[in-house]
Amino acid sequence: MIACGLVGGCGLLDDRSEPVQPAAFTAEAQAHSPIFTTAHSTVGASVNDFLMVRPKAVQPIEFPHNIHIEKGLTCLEYCHESVTKGPQAGLPSVNTCMICHAAIATDKPRIQQITAMSDKGIDLAWQRVYGFPAESHVKFNHAPHIRANVECSTCHGDIAHQTVAQRNVNINMGTCVTCHRQKNAPNDCLTCHY
Amino acid sequence: MDRRTFIKLTAITGTSATLASCGNPENTLVRFVPEEELVPGIAEWKPGVCPMCASGCGLSVRVMEADVETTKNGQQGLVRMGVAKKLEGNSAHPVNEGGLCARGQAAIQITYHPDRITQPLKRSGTRGDGAFAMISWDQAIAELVSKLDALEGAGNQKQVAFITGGHRSHRQVLIDAWLAKFGASPAVSFELFGNDVLRQANAVSFGQAQLPTFDLKNARYVISFGADFLGTWNSPVSQSMGYGHMRAGRPGMRGSFVQVESRMTTTGASADQWVPVKPGTAGVLALGIAHAILEHKLKPATNGRAGAQIAGWSAGLPDYSPEKVEQITGVKHERVERLARELAEQSPAVAMVGGVELAHTNALFTALAVNALNELLGAVGQPGGLHFTPQIPMAGPTTGPKQTLDKFAAAVGGGSQPIGVLFVDDANPVFAAPKAWKVREAIERAPYIVSFASFLDETSVLADLILPDHSFLESWSDALPESGSMVAVASVAAPPMKPLFQTRATPDVLIDVSKKLKKPLELPWATYDAMLKATFDGIGADAWATAQKQGGWWGEVPTSKAAAAKAPAAAGSAAGVKAASTQPVAYAEATFAGDAAQYPFHFLPYPSIQFYDGSAAHLPWLQELPDPMTSAMWSSWVELNPQTAAKMNVAQGDIVEIASPIGAVRSPAFINPAIAPDIVAMPVGQGHTTYTRYASGRGQNPVEIVAPVAEPTTGALAWAATRVKLTRVGDPDGKLVLFSAGGELREKPFELEKR
Repeated sequence: MIACGLVGGCGLLDDRSEPVQPAAFTAEAQAHSPIFTTAHSTVGASVNDFLMVRPKAVQPIEFPHNIHIEKGLTCLEYCHESVTKGPQAGLPSVNTCMICHAAIATDKPRIQQITAMSDKGIDLAWQRVYGFPAESHVKFNHAPHIRANVECSTCHGDIAHQTVAQRNVNINMGTCVTCHRQKNAPNDCLTCHY
Repeated sequence: MDRRTFIKLTAITGTSATLASCGNPENTLVRFVPEEELVPGIAEWKPGVCPMCASGCGLSVRVMEADVETTKNGQQGLVRMGVAKKLEGNSAHPVNEGGLCARGQAAIQITYHPDRITQPLKRSGTRGDGAFAMISWDQAIAELVSKLDALEGAGNQKQVAFITGGHRSHRQVLIDAWLAKFGASPAVSFELFGNDVLRQANAVSFGQAQLPTFDLKNARYVISFGADFLGTWNSPVSQSMGYGHMRAGRPGMRGSFVQVESRMTTTGASADQWVPVKPGTAGVLALGIAHAILEHKLKPATNGRAGAQIAGWSAGLPDYSPEKVEQITGVKHERVERLARELAEQSPAVAMVGGVELAHTNALFTALAVNALNELLGAVGQPGGLHFTPQIPMAGPTTGPKQTLDKFAAAVGGGSQPIGVLFVDDANPVFAAPKAWKVREAIERAPYIVSFASFLDETSVLADLILPDHSFLESWSDALPESGSMVAVASVAAPPMKPLFQTRATPDVLIDVSKKLKKPLELPWATYDAMLKATFDGIGADAWATAQKQGGWWGEVPTSKAAAAKAPAAAGSAAGVKAASTQPVAYAEATFAGDAAQYPFHFLPYPSIQFYDGSAAHLPWLQELPDPMTSAMWSSWVELNPQTAAKMNVAQGDIVEIASPIGAVRSPAFINPAIAPDIVAMPVGQGHTTYTRYASGRGQNPVEIVAPVAEPTTGALAWAATRVKLTRVGDPDGKLVLFSAGGELREKPFELEKR
């Protein structure tokens, strides 16, 4: 497997590239399908997953967090509203942008860009900045932290003065445990490792 | 650090360096705006209906968000949508009560199978070579409509034929109605392990042409004649639930269980006593027990309807004395007496019959004998006994005329039934029917074959047009359980998720075609869900709303409606039920294909717990599920008694050839002490030539050598009535994969190595 990864080089890294389509739909082609497994479409993808190699987040547009927070929007309303309901904060779809930007700042080039996307039914392919790979065997649930009035900036840093979100707080087990101790939150292993 | 670890580490470090230096791979697929509002990370549980067998178990489907690859306006991209991620049993459903078997658990792989047919296909090569071109739905339906219009224009409506799996559902009702309106030949239904003999026997004994439901929860003693009721027979999950309660659910009372069969199934492995009998003699044992009960007056004699079917019943069954029974069945007469006493003393007791014991030519006698024993035990309609699930009246008639597959194949193959367009839905007769029926040859005579299959299998690969159905999680699904519940039940579920591909629900395609014909068929339903609604509206005012919420409707059927549904001929009963015979029956020896001198062994092709009749062999979870009795996986095998193996000089894993008068198969041997010495058994399900990457070219299909012997009254295939001979032909080929060897569990399965 590793040898294949070496030979394949960079091409194999990209597990999201278009799957190779068989020339025609045949039983023969099915038997020799290029899909590696259902979980990893290529050998490269499985090697990357095994070694936890993850690409750096690149966002589809330069989203200015600072301007939105200056204008009085909070993190939780509209954009990351799932944060109060479930484990993930959620990333807004282009429809969410258009709630305001159908009328606001329609002359800006970035807004025109997303308006055009919205018209075509194409969404913004946001990439996650924070998060753990599945292999790290830890679970994080946003909703209870919001209920406990933990500020977003505790983990995500000073987003209010940033444009595109950067990973500016390095979160590891120490960060979690320290905070849980300070706030008398449960420190049982099974709180996060389940 | 040893040399090996060092090399591994070097390789890993080298790879990561190479990969890390490649820069940032960009997401090349665009993302479409989602159509649903979803809270990421929060699961929703929606009702579903299990499609894997006729039991009609209720499902609870876990639906969560996921990124799905899709194509919109010719552009490939990703869209976030709610998709099914896990199947569990619906805990409120009266059939499975929250349970789900391995096949049901694996059903989720149908939807995400990498070899699913994702859009209509038109044959582009010669028939059977598996080359297809992808076409649009408009094109596909137009082509089908023109073919049907041409037949209709020439007055050849009878040349349309339809092969179905024959499950009891509204889909079957719709197909029957569609065929009747068009004027086509009646539907041909085929189930390899069908239960027509038992339905016929129940019609004769109890006036109900239906499979029985057992109140195992309240039983104290159960004797099963060949019915693998915890594995493959009737409604296994329902029966397992009841069985668990009988054995361990009542403090201080553990029910007893005896299994009568000649090869130990998983059910037999759970029994307190395992009683092997000679093939085709289980009915004699049942009557031997009845004789002993009558002789010792352990139970009051009955003169009911079921007993009246047996010759000599009122005279105390003089022909079935324990000594005679010992001669015929091979079960010691002391044991027959003991079983009789235990059954009579430990009330409520009930007897079951099914599976291999009803796959002989004298099967009807066997079933009638066990029915009479049940009547003597006072088990019919009593707590802890045998019941019939009340039936719900459906939107259309269920008693449509039917053709059996063997008669259809003979008529088409012989040229007496000309054929223009052949539809195939939910059936793979080329794989599952005995070769001797020449089904493939008959099907190939059809100039135009239309399949609704989701996968290329031995039958759909012959099709000229494939109109892929939605998976059961993408469409309305329903089932009308014939048995397994003490109350009337109809399972139904709205689609738990949106379709992933360019597929369409088959019932809706049929309705669409019926409207587009030159002479529209005017079916009474506009869509499939409208048809389902009509049935549920017939039960009660809020039945439809209730059913959608809880995954089905169950309860007491209003008495005025119940009359209409009385004694339904099940959709699966291809032959239909014949009028009750008036002649009492007596034991007649089962006949077998093949001369006993030339073919010394009985051949037992049994339904596999993973694949049933082979229709589930494409699911990798089931392929890797070790068979509970042998621990074999991903392979086929032949089970032999150690005595037989020693006599034939066969060792574990050796390749043996099994030859019947019809043909021969070669497969690795598995030495199994829990099988009678004169029996050679093989699981059905493997041996597909075309059935996705996971099943194609794996193992052997034992049905190929099954002789076309039928039970005479119902015409049902007697699949255990073939004799075979056995030859050792070679050393292990490494294809038999066992999870454990010599009783030792291993972390990884091992392959028997070549010697």
